[in-house]
Amino acid sequence: MPKAFLIDTTRCTACRGCQVSCKEWKGFPAVPTKQRGTHQNPPDLTHYNFKLVRFSEYLEGDTVKWYFFPDQCRHCIDAPCKGASSIDGSIIQDAATGAILYTEKTVKEDFETIRSACPYDIPRKDPKTKRIVKCNMCIDRVQANKLPMCVKTCALGAMNFGDRDVMLKLAAERLVAVQKDFPAAQLCDMESVSTIYLVADTPSKYHKFAVADASGAPGMTRKEMLAGLLAPLRKTTKQLQ
Amino acid sequence: MTNHFTDIANADAVLIMGSNAAEHHPIAFKWVLKAKEKGAPVIHVDPKFSRTSARSTFHVPLRSGTDIAFMGGMVKYILENELYFKEYVAEYTNSAFIVSDKFSFKDGMFSGYNAEKKVYDKSSWSFEMDGAGQVKRDPSLKNPRCVFQLLKAHYSRYDLDKVSETTGVTKENLLKVYKAFAATGKPDKAGTVLYALGWTQHTVGVQNIRLSAIIQLLLGNIGVAGGGINALRGEPNVQGSSDHAILYHILPGYHAMPHAGWANLAEYLKANTPVTKDPMSVNWWGNRPKYMVSLLKAWFGDTGTEANGFGYDWLPKAEPGEDYSYIFLFDRMYKGKVRGGFVYGTNPAQSAPNSHKVRKALENLDWMVVGELHHTETSDFWRRPGVDSKKIKTEVFMLPSAQRGEKEGSVSNSGRWLMWHYKAAEPMGQSKPMGVMAVEIMNAVRDLYKQEGGAFPEPVLNLDWPETYQPEEITKKINGYFTRDTKIGDKLYKKGQLVPGFPNLQADGSTSSYNWLYCGGYSETEGNLAKRRNLTQTPMQAKIKLFPLFSWAWPLNRRVLYNRASVDKNGNPYNPAKAVIAWQDGKWVGDVPDGPWPPMAMKGGKYPFIMTTEGHAQLFGPGREDGPMPEHYEPAETPVKSHAFSGQLSNPCMKKATSDMDLLADPGDPRFPIVLTTYSMTEHWCGGGDTRNTPPLLEAEPQLYVEMSPQLAKEKGIQNGDVVVVESIRGKVEAVAMVTVRLRPFMVQGRIVHEIGMPFCFGWTTPKCGDATNRLTSSVGDPNTTIPEYKASLVNIRKATKVTEL
Amino acid sequence: MSVSRRGFIKLLGAGTACLGLSKLGIDLGPAQAYAAGLKTEGCKEFVSICPFCACCCNTIISVRDGKIISVEGDPDYPVSGGGLCAKGAALLTMHVNKHRITKPLYRAPGSTKWVEKEWSWTIDRIARKIKETRDHDFITKDAKGRQVNRLESMFQLGSSQMDNEECALSHQMLRGLGVVHMDHQARI
Repeated sequence: MPKAFLIDTTRCTACRGCQVSCKEWKGFPAVPTKQRGTHQNPPDLTHYNFKLVRFSEYLEGDTVKWYFFPDQCRHCIDAPCKGASSIDGSIIQDAATGAILYTEKTVKEDFETIRSACPYDIPRKDPKTKRIVKCNMCIDRVQANKLPMCVKTCALGAMNFGDRDVMLKLAAERLVAVQKDFPAAQLCDMESVSTIYLVADTPSKYHKFAVADASGAPGMTRKEMLAGLLAPLRKTTKQLQ
Repeated sequence: MTNHFTDIANADAVLIMGSNAAEHHPIAFKWVLKAKEKGAPVIHVDPKFSRTSARSTFHVPLRSGTDIAFMGGMVKYILENELYFKEYVAEYTNSAFIVSDKFSFKDGMFSGYNAEKKVYDKSSWSFEMDGAGQVKRDPSLKNPRCVFQLLKAHYSRYDLDKVSETTGVTKENLLKVYKAFAATGKPDKAGTVLYALGWTQHTVGVQNIRLSAIIQLLLGNIGVAGGGINALRGEPNVQGSSDHAILYHILPGYHAMPHAGWANLAEYLKANTPVTKDPMSVNWWGNRPKYMVSLLKAWFGDTGTEANGFGYDWLPKAEPGEDYSYIFLFDRMYKGKVRGGFVYGTNPAQSAPNSHKVRKALENLDWMVVGELHHTETSDFWRRPGVDSKKIKTEVFMLPSAQRGEKEGSVSNSGRWLMWHYKAAEPMGQSKPMGVMAVEIMNAVRDLYKQEGGAFPEPVLNLDWPETYQPEEITKKINGYFTRDTKIGDKLYKKGQLVPGFPNLQADGSTSSYNWLYCGGYSETEGNLAKRRNLTQTPMQAKIKLFPLFSWAWPLNRRVLYNRASVDKNGNPYNPAKAVIAWQDGKWVGDVPDGPWPPMAMKGGKYPFIMTTEGHAQLFGPGREDGPMPEHYEPAETPVKSHAFSGQLSNPCMKKATSDMDLLADPGDPRFPIVLTTYSMTEHWCGGGDTRNTPPLLEAEPQLYVEMSPQLAKEKGIQNGDVVVVESIRGKVEAVAMVTVRLRPFMVQGRIVHEIGMPFCFGWTTPKCGDATNRLTSSVGDPNTTIPEYKASLVNIRKATKVTEL
Repeated sequence: MSVSRRGFIKLLGAGTACLGLSKLGIDLGPAQAYAAGLKTEGCKEFVSICPFCACCCNTIISVRDGKIISVEGDPDYPVSGGGLCAKGAALLTMHVNKHRITKPLYRAPGSTKWVEKEWSWTIDRIARKIKETRDHDFITKDAKGRQVNRLESMFQLGSSQMDNEECALSHQMLRGLGVVHMDHQARI
């Protein structure tokens, strides 16, 4: 059974337990940061930050809206990054869980190609190892029947993980409940990803890349299309080189 | 907490005021969300829109230091709309008590004020007694001098206009909160109040909490599931360390510190043991002699005998009325009257108010011992920026402390659950638990006194003191032992047996206990109950998430305090769906009841509020220093020159240090027009030492910031991310401007008052993160607790021209 | 490819994944090789408690060969259900941390630096300072001639970081010495 995350942003308090526990489990050192007038730090995902809580705030009439978005890899069901890869075995999908995994072979991939293939802007390059890196669904833990660290750490019910059908059911239930107060609530790209976000408002208000196509148009995004169409060509090219 | 964390889920309304629960108790907030998802409105009243507000049903911004005005308006709303729980108020509170005709309240002042000493003579704040020595009552609540009528009259002045112009909260918002929370005044509804330092850190801190208690009593929300007044206590073992009283004014178990006026044990016990003539009042503090003598026996063992007051004669006696807390310790240190001392796991150079003075005061010490994990602004005060280390004569000892996972012992959570933590690894390097440090240092001191004699050696040498630190042996000693074979009723206990619960403690020296509250936590049959991890519960207990077999809670494993007030006089729960206790077939079921007696209406029945002398909850509370009923006063530093409620601007009893470094801005001071509130945050801890030295946390929150509204930023020409200088009459601080819609200007007395907020966790030992925000705050405190007023200071801000701290 | 994979995944029930996959001849190698085992495999586990707010989240510390490998929330603690906030999540780094002091340090009067000292020297020296202070400043009687047995010139601040057992001893020690200036984080 493939696995899925349900990230219920309506329960997130931005405590950043997920952000920190991810680093701790993976043994990543801190990256240098500065206060820039926001609580969001580091400013973006890094090769040592596979999970980042994004903050965005709005004043609407007399009401303050403060949105938290624990950003991470979506583990796409048909991953554009995998499609865009040109080295066999550099980006693999775990058959048991659906996790998209970047292996040591990513050192030979063209980073910009892989990054630009991702509609969610997730991949980062480790300047030391030259590998392309991102969330791996804590596949080590999941294989040992443990929850991914970010999910384990979340007490508030924002981070959920389990069999995809169970998560879809939970997502539907939560959507119905949340829509009572927030009619604009929606599940982001539910059909095509394994990391499903429940948001209470327009996704782009949470994060520029909250959904594959910020305009909300149905179907494949330009990135997905390009990635899918060009993938065989790239592979062939790479093999010929 | 009167209740406990999982109980919050039972609430029908959650009022979070004086707390940023989601940021400072992030995991406990889970239970707030559970209540919310079941339909409870979650109301956040706070100057700043925080992560708590983001998850609340609604947020209401109010100006710092105006909580009493806000809540006074709620009392008026509840009383005038008759939304209070009538039976509860009449039967379980002192609403019917007749107050002495000598009591008065005029223009913000209660009767009995001594203007020279700035203290009240509280004798007129008393009740009238009948010939039998019982309090006179008017059950009809109509007597104009009964508590209910006095309360009504007192808060009749707190109308929406006055409250709104004082607090800066719109009338619509006031009514929205009052209506939502007052809806819990129905017998089968419960509202919980969650508070923290946002209430305590004011010159009216205690009265903030008193007023919430009055509201909760009017609504019948004390003693019930999903109710209570719940202090979300900040520190890791601040509950346990308060119970064991690492505090100047009390001894372990909440006994007053002996003072020079109580020359011997008999005088002490007489002054501190209340008596009642009402046979239905339990008056639990009538047991004080048993607990005090058992404490003395734990301290002095066999050397404590009746002849020396079980060791009372050796104890230090404070000077009556003297204050030995942080503010006054540093005042005396600044004046050169303190020679040396210990600082364990705390960082006053960073977290005490008026840091410039605190840091300067430390220079006057001959010696200082610091038990810590890492360097702090306190341990390294002698090499702080701008000082010449060579001129500082203080000898400093830095003792490396073990981390939590490197030692075993017990801690108590905010809900009074006593829990054991095990040692997972050896302490890093040569670090040691603080308990080992204390035992080794004291043994070395005792050796010196044995060898050399010295000043008054008796208490030093007569202590029952261990050779080595063995935590679980101390856990047992906290519970207490029989010191000799003792018969209680028809049961015989052997010398050396553990005392099975504090009802068995004795006043004759036959028992010992470091702390009566914890007596019952270690049993002969079940061992260390702090180690219990049993999640089973009866269906009745499961309904309210009581978890009575997980760990152990003081007192006597009672999870909801004052739970006898959750049932009617016949023992039937007011809310059967969420019953805490119930009288069934001649016995109590559910939680451990507040005493074994039958319900109040039955033979041998007792009043529910067993800790008060008269057995009734105190709407009128004669014990506080600054009045029997809370009254609005402005903070010591206030942006206004007067207020609508009286001519008394600020708390007439507030405590103040008075050195040349203790300056205060004038009311409405044009140089400092902006209100500053200070706070902690999720990612850093208090003074910040532990967390700034933890790289992933410093990564998430790297530098000092100041949150301000876009309106203020525009006025001052400040852009988001600019470095600004925040300045009070006491000091200057550099911080990064965080311009945010989450802070909003207040409309106060018809004009705009700006408020800004800053964390206080950043200090110079972490390079380029900023330095103490408390350089801005003042050494003024609440008259009851001397907790400093960190939450309201006056400042100004400007864009920095030169940056040195960030 | 993607269609068939989706179809295939749908075929599988929970708990039969491995069997199903191997029967269908799917190579599990790359993902397993990728994961290369769990870092806490074979560790001893100890229940501890987060040393921050008074929520007191219970934790599980995984230890191998005396070294702390990982810290997670304890799912059995009813309050947290195994969760931790950012601070609790950083407990591993907080324990195994290069900023920690590992030896007693001493700063002599007028010195510009710390020097390392032995514990025994440090304890003896502190005991001497306590005794000197106490013997010099002990107040037997107050201005009104009342017996007070107190030492005003020595203080202790902290700590709520102490366990109950440490607090009980600490309080006993201080009152034994006659200390009246004692206070801790409950006040600030």
